[in-house]
Parts: sequence; structure tokens; C-alpha cells
Amino acid sequence: MAIKKKRYALVIDSRKCINCKACAVACKAENEVPIGNFRNWINEDRQGEYPKLRIDFEPEQCHHCEHPSCVRVCPTGASWQRKDGIVLVNDDECIGCRYCMIACPYDARYFHEASGTVHKCTLCSHRIDKGTIPACVETCPSKVRVFGDLEDPASRVHELLATRRYRVKEPQTGNGPQLYYLL
Amino acid sequence: MGTTRMDRRLFLKAAGATAAGAVTASQAGCLRYFKKGRTASDDRREVPTTCELCPNKCSAIAVVEGGLVKKLNPNPENPKSRDMLCARGNAAIKQVYDPDRLKQPMIRVGARGEGKWKPVSWDEAFDFAAKKLAEAKSKYGPESTLWSSTEGFQEVFFKNLGLAFGSPNLVRHPTLCLASVNLAYSATFGTVPSFDLLNSKFVIMSGANRFESIITPDTMDLIGGVMERKAKLVYLDPRFTVTAAKADEWYPIKPGTDLAFILAMIHVIIKENRHSKDFVAAYTTGFDQLVEHVKPYTPEWAEQETEIPAKDIIRIAREFSDAAPRALYYAGRRSSWYQNDFQMRRAQAILNAIVGNWDQPGGMVPNAKLPKGEFLFMPWDEPKAPRVDEIEKHFPLAAKGDGVYLKLRENVLSGKPYPIKAWMVYKQDPLNAMPDQAKTMKMIEQMDFIGVIDVQMSDMAWYADVVFPESAYLERTDPVEVMPGIWPAVVYRQQVVKPIHDTKPNLDIVQGLAKRLGLSDYFDYTIEQWVEAEFKELPIPMAAEHMKKHGVWAASGQPSYGKTLTPDHRFVTKTGKIELFSERLQEAGHDPLPVYAAPVQPPGDRFRLILGRVGYFTHANQSNNVWLNEFMKENDLWINPKPAERLGIKTGSTLTVTSSVGSVKLKARVTEEIRPDCVFMLHGFGKKSKMQSLVYQVGASDAVILETAWDKVSGNAAFHETFVKVANA
Repeated sequence: MAIKKKRYALVIDSRKCINCKACAVACKAENEVPIGNFRNWINEDRQGEYPKLRIDFEPEQCHHCEHPSCVRVCPTGASWQRKDGIVLVNDDECIGCRYCMIACPYDARYFHEASGTVHKCTLCSHRIDKGTIPACVETCPSKVRVFGDLEDPASRVHELLATRRYRVKEPQTGNGPQLYYLL
Repeated sequence: MGTTRMDRRLFLKAAGATAAGAVTASQAGCLRYFKKGRTASDDRREVPTTCELCPNKCSAIAVVEGGLVKKLNPNPENPKSRDMLCARGNAAIKQVYDPDRLKQPMIRVGARGEGKWKPVSWDEAFDFAAKKLAEAKSKYGPESTLWSSTEGFQEVFFKNLGLAFGSPNLVRHPTLCLASVNLAYSATFGTVPSFDLLNSKFVIMSGANRFESIITPDTMDLIGGVMERKAKLVYLDPRFTVTAAKADEWYPIKPGTDLAFILAMIHVIIKENRHSKDFVAAYTTGFDQLVEHVKPYTPEWAEQETEIPAKDIIRIAREFSDAAPRALYYAGRRSSWYQNDFQMRRAQAILNAIVGNWDQPGGMVPNAKLPKGEFLFMPWDEPKAPRVDEIEKHFPLAAKGDGVYLKLRENVLSGKPYPIKAWMVYKQDPLNAMPDQAKTMKMIEQMDFIGVIDVQMSDMAWYADVVFPESAYLERTDPVEVMPGIWPAVVYRQQVVKPIHDTKPNLDIVQGLAKRLGLSDYFDYTIEQWVEAEFKELPIPMAAEHMKKHGVWAASGQPSYGKTLTPDHRFVTKTGKIELFSERLQEAGHDPLPVYAAPVQPPGDRFRLILGRVGYFTHANQSNNVWLNEFMKENDLWINPKPAERLGIKTGSTLTVTSSVGSVKLKARVTEEIRPDCVFMLHGFGKKSKMQSLVYQVGASDAVILETAWDKVSGNAAFHETFVKVANA
């Protein structure tokens, strides 16, 4: 039996984000992210003059790109991509040179002082491999992020991208980001 | 495989890439291998429990590895928390492993607040406190002791100890929180309903900043409603909050005038015959008086008061009544703001009543409840003395069991009607929860004895004579709680890990004190016996097993509407009807219908101080949580650019903020997101306790500058009645 190809992605409905930071803390606990570093975060855009004002929130993390520049520049092959699209760092192979941090157009990686290696969002691959969803997706009060397999036509991410307009960030880099922001 | 990888890395290191970093890397790498070898995966357990970081009671599943709580995941079985855990809930792990935590009982050895403590055994701590309490009792009677606590599953044991001791002076949080809301809705409907935001089509909120003060399921339902079902949200607030940003319409209403807006809405709806005639006739009383009462409250008049255009008030009233019964004026529930707060909430309740949204989908729904067993214990004699806050005389409608905090403080300070000499506190920080900290400090100074039970060294604990460290919620088993609502549920908090320090659950602390006070017979049970008795009456097969395995039980996913909409239903009011006009209020000397009085506005050189929350800090204790503190390390003062320019204030400059009762220093945040006549600061900073090390003397506490003011009917503290002067420091 042929194993079905998978391509994991996140579809993000930023309008529903209330900047409560649940995703950031859940990630911190799940992945033992050190104080001072984050694997996901919320961008804020505040505009206007009183009383005509707006605030937009935009959750962001590693975009798990189709053609990740971080993987291309890695001198040791520590930065690599799974067949299902998840971009990871092999801690044992990482020499802490931080080329990948510079190459990432989204500033999604950080240097882990204690291990001397570069860390980043793993899309909670350890949870996905057990059939559950990433911690940030699960904990969110407004379910801003939708996680799923783009190759599965029955998936919610597939449905959302088929029926709603969306954008990706910095498409001109050619990285092919897989965080889809609904418009 | 492992060996090959090691070799390759070592090779690269030798080739000279980032030498210093790589050395660290290899050492840490070895440690990592060592750890991997030690942590066996069969060590992993998942324990359902109930969060305690705020009063929402969300269900969580704790992941335990190697005896440590590693992760808290949401439990989707709870219909109120709805498969989510907010930042506070996720950060509860750090409450357990906080280096600042109280780790053993301590007795003060220096002056109060000096921070000199002697670690003592539990026996010593109990003996000391019991001796002091007995002294107060023999000199001044049991009523000279004050027992203050806040909402929590184990609060019942603390309250019972105070009562068994013979003190009538139990004081709880509602008059620092939502007493005015509860009383206003009770006075109108005989009960406090829930709001069916999930199914509502039109929602109006006055300052209920529901996207930053997370309440379950309201916050999530509002997101579902406003952002997915196209429900409309109209929001009134002097500050541009996240809720304002998400709302369809935001009005920076002139502070203290919400009542004028609501009265004008009622005026329009009645004038245009838009009220629900059938509902009003069948279920309410006093409509005729209401019609006369609102005649002068025209939209044009309200425009002058609120600064919201009359045409908008008229349009909103029309849209609201068109959407009814799926239309809601949402009550809100955090601290009251003004001295007319009860009447403002009453007006909301009346507006909701006349459009007939009662007990309807998308409207207000009386809470469904689930039965629970009760543990029967030996009864004690009722305390003999009257309450020190003279609640019967001054606030005859207020909840006697909760007390009225600010009036109580006034009476304690005056020593009348009788002296209060000992103060026991559970899980509360009156120094930061009450306005006018200097007054609370005076109250502390006049006590012969103060004992505090808490997880952390709050500011109150810092000024205590003895501190009893309570086990964190993840380290305890607590009583079963019924959560009434549209989607009622029963939740259980069971011990997830063993206490890591020399701490005890509150029941054990109460029992330790009771034993020495000769009250053991009243507390002769274990938490297991108590919980078993509660399980027995739950309408669930194998209730104990179910609750231990799932942590939560919900009756059904489908709410039931309309149970109270029968001709023979009697509302729990004097007339048995929904009381638009309230004789009970009249008899108690209050306005039977909400009468508007314009609030005093700040003089030219002053600003009205307003308070609020963000999604990751609710209570004063959360800013010292290392995972939450990361998002905001210091609070600041929001000020509009216009007055800021006039005063030469720039973002980041240090300001002196002064009221009639105190002065604090805060950094400025010059922002368009606030009215020019208001300034705003966040709660939870500027601590006096050195064992809140992240926020010790960082930023400022609102309690220092807030003035004492309360709502006339409920006694609820009025938190937006303070005018401050702002200047560069």
C-alpha cells in the first residue's frame, strides 16, 4: 500500500486573534523554550488618530517553507526538512553558526544559550507524530490557527484555502511559506 | 547512528567553526544524552484537573513526567472553557516551580513589612496563631477577629473556621468585584442570568473588555459570534481596548455616563413602540412607571451627557430592538466604576427586560444547575455579634455573607461599633485589591495579629505576623464545584503532583488551627470524605470514577431555553414578576427606577484614572509569574498625545501621578488609544513584597492612588472616581 504524501500547514485567521498570548505560553511549556526566547509570537499593528483607530494582531512562527532558505544555507545539514514539510534542526548536528538565523526571512529562529545550538518551531512534530495537534493550535481560546494536511482534500485547511482569500508573508523570497493568513 | 553524528560534529568543531560556542555545545550535548537516558517514557501520566489561576474554573489535563508537571493541556470536555487554556492557565506550572514561592511556615521577627522572617515548623506556626486568636477572643470577644478570603474551592473551610470561632466578620471579594452587577440583576429578575453570546445577533458592552478580561465561555462565544456569525458588537469605553478594536462600533463615551446612554435607548424603544409588548405584559411589573420615568431622557439629552451623537443612539436602539430577542446589553462583571454603578446595571437589566430577551436563545438565560452532594459536619452556634461593617443598616440589600469591604475598613479604622484586633486572610491581597493602600496599611498597623494563608508572598503576606504556605492547586485535591450556567458543568480538582515544599492544603491548615482553638470536632473529616460525599449525589453513573478520570462532567451539549416562560412561573422577586419598578429598592431608600445624576468631571489640570486588564494578567499575583511577566515587565501610564504635548510628556519619560491619597511614579505611554480626559494604568505592579521579585518596586500599584468611593446601593468599590494630577518627575 502506498503511503499517502502529506504536507502540513497552518491557516491563520488573524482577525480572531485577541493577543491573549496563550499560544506563546503553551509553546514555552511544551518545548521548554528559555525565558527571553519565543518560538511563536504575535505582531501588533496600531494605527490611526483618536478616535479613528485600529489594532491588528498577527500570530507568527516558523513558516515551514516549501523551499526553506535556512535549510539551504546550513553548512552541516542540521537544518533539514521532513517529507511532510516540517522544517527541523537536528540538535546533534548543529554547530551554532547561526547562518540559518540570518537566512530566515521571518526571524523565526533563536540561539539556545545552554545547548549552543539554534532552536525553532517544530510545529510540535512530536505531537503530530502521535496524532495530536500543535500546542499553540490546541490551546488558543479563539482557535485562530487551523492545522492540517494540504494534501488531504477533506481537511479544514484545504477547505479554508479553497473558499477564502488569503496571503502569505514575504512570498518574493521564493521560500514558499506555509503559514496562510486569511484575509 | 548516534556515534556517526557525534563524530561529524566533533570533526566540524575541530575544523574551527565558532570555537567558544561549540565547546558549550558539546558539553551541553553530553548532558542531554545523560538526561535522555534517565527519563523513561512510561513515567508519563496525564491527570485531569481544574485551573485556579483565575475564577473561571477551566478544565485542564496535566502532563506529568518524572514527578514534575511538564505541560497543561486544555480539556475539551468542559462546555464552559471549550477546549482552551489561556496564557494564565498555561503558566500555572510556574506557580509551582516559582523560586519566590512560600516554602515553609514563617513567623515575622523584625518590624511588620521589614522582611525578617524565621522559618518555623507547622506546630510552631499553629501554636503562635492560635494563641494570638485566643487572646483577641478573651480580651475583645470573637467578633474582634476578621476573616477575609476570596473565591476558591477551599474557601469554604476557611469561612467555616471563622464562623466556628464565633466571628460574624467574614468578608469576601464581591464588593471589590461584581456585587453591583449581581445585586442589580437580582433586584430585577430575582436571579443573575448568563448571557448567550454564542447565539446573540446584537451585543452592546459598556466597558466589559471581554477580549482582554477573559471569561469563559463569554470571550470565546463572542469571538464565535462577532467574527464568524456576523453578530454586531457595539462597545462603549473611554479607552481603545482590544474589544474596541474588534467591535463593529466603538464609542469613547464620556466616563460615568453609561446610564444616560441606556436610559436614552429605553426612551427611544418605548417612544417608537419597539418594546416586546407581549413579554412586558406577561412577565414584568412597573412598565407604566418606566414609561413616565424615561420621558425626559431623550437621545438629544443623552448626547450632551455621553458625547455619543443622538442619531447614533437612536439607530443603535432601533437595531437592538430589531435584533431582539437575540439582542443583549451585556452586564460585564469586573469591578464597579462609579457611585451609581448599581443603577447603571439596573438600567441594563430593564432594557434587556423590555425587549423580551429573557430565557431566549441569544438573550439572557437563567442559570441551569447540577445537583451535588454535601458533606454533613457538626454545626456550631451562630456568631452572636452583629457585623462590624453594619451592613444591615447601610446596605440592607447587600449579601451579608460577603460583607462590604470598604465600609468595613472605615469601621475597623474608627474602632466602631467595636474593635477588630486580629485579621486572618486566605488567598487575598487586600493591599492591592482595595483602593487607598495607605488606609489599608493603617488597618494593618492597628491589628494585634495578622495571619495569612497563601501560595505566594503577596503584599498582604509580607505584612503578616505569620505566613502559612498553601500548596499550589496542582499539588492539592479540592472540593467538587458545580458551575451553573447555560452549559452547566461539574468540575473536580485532583492532586496532580506531591507538594515540592513544606506546604499544606488549606483544609489541613484550618484543621491545624482548629485543633489548637478547641474546634476540632467541627473539622473532623478528610478531603477525601468531603469529596466522596459530593460525588455521591452527582447525577452521573460511577460519579467518583468518572470525575477522577475526566475531571469534568457536563449534562448535555444543548442548553434548554424558556423554562421560566410559563404563566405560573414566579420570579424570585417581591411581586413574582420581573421588576422594572422595584418597591424593594424604594423601601430600602433607593430610587425604584434608575435616576441619572451627571458625574463630577475632573478639573482642568486633572485626569480621571481608569483601570483595566490584559489577557495575561487578571489578579495582582500573576505579574510575578515568569512566563507572564515576559510579556510586560512594567506597567505604564496611558495618556493621550494632546494633553501629553501640553504637559511636555513623552513616551518613556517618568511621571509622577498624584491623587488626594497618594502618589506613584510611572513611565509614560503617549497613545491615541485613550480619551484626552482620562489616564489608564494596569493592575498588578509596584509590589512591596520582596518575594515578588519580578515586580518588587517595578512600576506602580493602582491601590496607592485610588481613592475610597463606593456604589450607594451595593457598597461595591467604585474604581473610576479618582482624579489624578500628572507631571514629569
